[in-house]
Amino acid sequence: MRNIAFLALNVIADSFRKKIFYVVFLFGLAMLAPSPLLPSFELGLQLEFLRDVSLSLTSLFGAVLAVIVAVAQLPVEIEKKTIYNILSKPVSRLEYYVGKFLGVIATLAIILIVMGIEIILLIYFRLKTFSPIVFEGIFLVFLESCVIAGFCYFLTTFASIPVSVLAAIFFYVLCHVKTGYLYEKLVEDASGALRIIAWSVYYLIPNLENYNVSQQVGYGHGVPFGYVARVFSYALLFTALFIFLGYNVFRRKDL
Amino acid sequence: MDNVILLENIRKTFRSPMLRIKRTAISDLSLGVRENSIFGLLGPNGAGKTTTLKVILGLVSPDSGTGNVLGKPLGSKSTRARIGFLPEQPYFYGFMTAEKAMMFYGHLAGLDTETIRNRSEKLLSLVGLPIGSHLTLEKYSKGMLQRFGIAQALLNDPDLVIMDEPSSGLDPVGQKEIREIIISLKERGKTVFLSSHQLSEVESVCDSVSIINSGRAVAQGQLDDLLEVKGVSLVTFTGESERAQKVFSPLARKVHTENGKTHVEVDADKVYEIITSGKELGLYLQTVGPFRKTLEDLFMEIVRGQEI
Ligand SMILES: Nc1ncnc2c1ncn2[C@@H]1O[C@H](COP(=O)(O)OP(=O)(O)OP(=O)(O)O)[C@@H](O)[C@H]1O
Ligand SMILES: [Mg+2]
Repeated sequence: MRNIAFLALNVIADSFRKKIFYVVFLFGLAMLAPSPLLPSFELGLQLEFLRDVSLSLTSLFGAVLAVIVAVAQLPVEIEKKTIYNILSKPVSRLEYYVGKFLGVIATLAIILIVMGIEIILLIYFRLKTFSPIVFEGIFLVFLESCVIAGFCYFLTTFASIPVSVLAAIFFYVLCHVKTGYLYEKLVEDASGALRIIAWSVYYLIPNLENYNVSQQVGYGHGVPFGYVARVFSYALLFTALFIFLGYNVFRRKDL
Repeated sequence: MDNVILLENIRKTFRSPMLRIKRTAISDLSLGVRENSIFGLLGPNGAGKTTTLKVILGLVSPDSGTGNVLGKPLGSKSTRARIGFLPEQPYFYGFMTAEKAMMFYGHLAGLDTETIRNRSEKLLSLVGLPIGSHLTLEKYSKGMLQRFGIAQALLNDPDLVIMDEPSSGLDPVGQKEIREIIISLKERGKTVFLSSHQLSEVESVCDSVSIINSGRAVAQGQLDDLLEVKGVSLVTFTGESERAQKVFSPLARKVHTENGKTHVEVDADKVYEIITSGKELGLYLQTVGPFRKTLEDLFMEIVRGQEI
């Protein structure tokens, strides 16, 4: 447990020192600031629009940062050989693998909290209303970025950084278009064995569209607690699955 | 005395992920390292030294063969609490200062903050690094990093210290200091396992060595046994004579003169004849002793696969 905490803290410290990280992070904040180019709307609509747009942007940046932070762990440590000094200490591979991942997750949480606070302040200064419901959307964005980070982190146990990034983009797109279109095309149109395969693939791919609630938050009513609980367990399940798969590759890896 | 490290018939191949080519890094390697000794692993580049160290530490798992370290099977986590490791190229988190990094590695080694603080001060000064410096590790020179690597390897007061080319990148003073550190570790009852290319260093500190070539152990044992040539003596005279070569040659294996001294390598049963002839030549007998090759001779002999 102690080792996991030290490793996670180290990932956080390391992430917040990377220049690329700040570039993306500041870019994200800068994108949020002038987002409401909506002078003619009435107040209520402005609020809806502002919440909707800033959450959608945050979601996109959350995904990008999840990829950047997650792929920058194992391949970099192996390439720079800093991993030898850690795994030659009484640290198990499980502690290492999980500790670093928790560091990634914590880094993402910190970024998203900062972005959430920014959005709330932005709305407050523009429209003089306090809008804590934004954090409901931020929380789901965080869950989505955990799934993406888990997937990338798993990939890097065997693939290089560029391959992992490409696969992550593919994964992201696939997970967002799967609703509707994919379902109709693959599951309902197919028949026999193909249909079973399509059906399993459909359920094996996490549906990341579930984590996009910017409209509901925009309207101000948010989503019911049951929904949040459901998508939370769903994210937990997928993240755990990726961690399990990744650990099983990493456990045997020659360093 | 017990073996602190025991490897039996270890074999390790690496395969490239894309191509189906297998590279054998070590094949059928066996070795034993006795407690409280200094063991040197020698071999040319690519012989499999680093791979052997990684097997011992559990960083790579062997295809076949068994082994144990400090009485536990390979790759055991609790064993690593008693091991200090200096990797081949010491790379650390560049953004940390020496003290911060010592704190981080010390915590991972299971030590508490107070102990780490005390020890890291002592160790950093032992290896000649400044204490309390704000310089981060990315700004360290190669030799400074090597020194830091040695300090962090000793942080947990290990019973077994494993070093991959400990003197690499160090200046002559640093090389001498590391030799002193290695010897003092032995004096404190520790076991040191090192790989090296510095044959003179190995010769001066190691009790036993194993020379590996292409992943196989080709010679191993106590250094004295390996270097001593059985049945051959070395007779040294003070003084030189132009006729020395001619007189000694029929009896001796090798004669050479250097700095006013004449050295004669001779089969043990002909020592008396050499002494008598030397006297006749007007040379003064200085020493008679067993003939020892240098480690370099032995190494070249083995690696080139031929007797010199
Ligand atoms: N991860 C790896 N993947 C593929 N081949 C490897 C790997 N690690 C080592 N090898 C191969 O195993 C062999 C032994 O390498 P090793 O690093 O153990 O040599 P070494 O004796 O330490 O050499 P040096 O003196 O240059 O440090 C080499 O042929 C090397 O190419
Ligand atoms: Mg090596």
